[in-house]
Amino acid sequence: MAKNKRVVMARLGMDAHWRGSIIVARALRDAGMEVIYLGNQLPEGIVQSAIQEDADVVGLSSLSGNHMILAPEVVKLLRARGAGDITVVLGGTVPPDEIAPLKEAGIAEVFGPGTPLEKIVAFIEGINHKVSE
Amino acid sequence: MAKVFRTDSVEKIRREKAGWQEDCYSKQKELDKEFKTLSGIPVEALYTPEDVAPMDYLRDLGFPGLEPFIRGVYPTMYRGRTWTQRQLAGFGPPEETNKRYKFLLEQGATGINGVFDYPTLRGYDSTDPFARADAGRGGVAIDTIDDMRILFDGIPIDQVSTSLVTCQPICNISVQSMYFGNAQNRSIPINALAGTSQNDFLLETVVTIAPGVLPPEYSFKLSCDAIEFCTRHAPRWNPVSYAGYNYRESGCTAVQEVAFVMANAIACTEELLRRGLPLESFAARLSFFLSAHSDFFEEIAKYRAARRLWSKIMKNRFGAKNPRDLMFRFHVQTAGVSLTAQQPLNNVSRAAYQALSAVLGGAQSVHVDSYDEALCTPTELSSLTALRTQQILQLETHVTHTIDPLGGSYFVESLTNQLEARIEAMIEEIDRLGGLVKAVKQGWIHQEIANTAYEYQKAVEAGGMPIVGVNCYRLENEELPFEIFRNPETLAVQEKKLERIKKERSAQKVEKVLGDLGRACDQGDNLMELLVDGVKSYVTEGEISGVLKQHYGVWNPPLF
Repeated sequence: MAKNKRVVMARLGMDAHWRGSIIVARALRDAGMEVIYLGNQLPEGIVQSAIQEDADVVGLSSLSGNHMILAPEVVKLLRARGAGDITVVLGGTVPPDEIAPLKEAGIAEVFGPGTPLEKIVAFIEGINHKVSE
Repeated sequence: MAKVFRTDSVEKIRREKAGWQEDCYSKQKELDKEFKTLSGIPVEALYTPEDVAPMDYLRDLGFPGLEPFIRGVYPTMYRGRTWTQRQLAGFGPPEETNKRYKFLLEQGATGINGVFDYPTLRGYDSTDPFARADAGRGGVAIDTIDDMRILFDGIPIDQVSTSLVTCQPICNISVQSMYFGNAQNRSIPINALAGTSQNDFLLETVVTIAPGVLPPEYSFKLSCDAIEFCTRHAPRWNPVSYAGYNYRESGCTAVQEVAFVMANAIACTEELLRRGLPLESFAARLSFFLSAHSDFFEEIAKYRAARRLWSKIMKNRFGAKNPRDLMFRFHVQTAGVSLTAQQPLNNVSRAAYQALSAVLGGAQSVHVDSYDEALCTPTELSSLTALRTQQILQLETHVTHTIDPLGGSYFVESLTNQLEARIEAMIEEIDRLGGLVKAVKQGWIHQEIANTAYEYQKAVEAGGMPIVGVNCYRLENEELPFEIFRNPETLAVQEKKLERIKKERSAQKVEKVLGDLGRACDQGDNLMELLVDGVKSYVTEGEISGVLKQHYGVWNPPLF
């Protein structure tokens, strides 16, 4: 039987908006996943927790505009620590033209404003490379 | 006594309405569907005198400028003086925001509404490791009093009123001190300054939390310090603006929004009385900040209910006698959370309807959101369009010609009554928990807001709440119809200034200020008394916060 997915969630840097991340965290929990909610963290802290918690997915949230600096750093650090198999997703106010560079940097998916919870839950449920190990 | 409806008339109307419902209305099949306000209050198809039957005109409504103030806090309202058009602005380093302030004032804005970046609001310097990626984002970066000098350079702060959106008390205690200290450096006495600072402990501990939050009781203390300081030295300044707007943005209903601002103001009033300040020295300066969300009539009813309830609270709970102390004065911002990233020009219409509700509800000042705010910080064009939306409302629609034009509407009066009752019940619930500070410490407020936010989102997604362009009338392959605002370089600018300031300032003076501050923390003294002068040493905001956290500790808010 597949184990429940473990998702580490964090707001990037100083970003203050918790509404989106808390709602997504609850939706993931209601869908049967284990959610570890870190609050505000820098990439270093997020990566440490993700490895320590043996996370399948890292969910980042930012509405402050800091995502272009901090989100790719999370991917980079995970890969450097041999944890590149942890999937990183991002939600928040991301201008459309920044989605492609984020994906190039290794963010698996970007969920912009107005994304249905269902879609986020389905995407994370659909990630299977690590769970099947 | 001035009962509006005769009992026998109401009885007759009740019978006739039942007949109408039976014979005419229920034949239309619309309508097994349940209609509700955005906050979940059931809405009937039709309101009649029956719904407001006990209304006593003089007791329940009265006249503008007189108790219970439901029809407006001032006798002439917008005929005498229009609402203040206070467009929020702030981004990048202070050099850039200074230009935007001047632009908005040139274009007819009648007040400054300055917002600070994420690090500043949370008490961090731009160069702090936690802050670096957020410097200049969401507002303007302020590290020392020199940034405050630059921000208001060339702006007549003795004539223009300024709102400092300092949000958290940990920010306010430094930033407001810098604003006051800078005024003194410009030879403007602080008792001549007009303006508002936000200074709301609920923002720090519940709504816009960040790493290293002060424990609620200390954040609350700092908020009261600033109120006490202004009461003694800056009587034209509104030292707090209870930020119901931000509560609403994070997920509250209209009822929670108003209940929480009032519970907050009640807690502060109790504390200031305990500190020995007479009620009439500060009560009239407690100001409020509310959201204009999309449910048009509910918002109007909310503002009216808040005015009537606040006058009762001040009178019955605190024995206020001065009419000014009974007035619920408020600023409104249109709901950022209602803006969509999809088809973003539609946001102009949304914000216009919301601003109309604020004006029909008797707001003292209004900010209209820009159409691009779901995507980025407003550009010059989008800010100008928002300001013009206000000017069109003021000058072209004639809504300012008569006071409280919806007063007496069966629906609006009924909704006002229901909102007031629900808000009052929630305030009583907070009383039972031991007041707002305790309710925060227990995580009760966090849970209330998170639950509502989650329910709201589920309702939107269940299709019960159409949002044009998002879950209906979508465009495929939508193209962005405007340029996105790009934040100007901030970190390098701030870093350079900080480096120079730290080299040039007197280390000895800074050390003394920080030492005195630590002692004041331990002795429970009013910190603003010390900081308005202290910040002139070019001590940084981050250095001040460091001392506060060292002496007060930090707290982990129970969010999830």
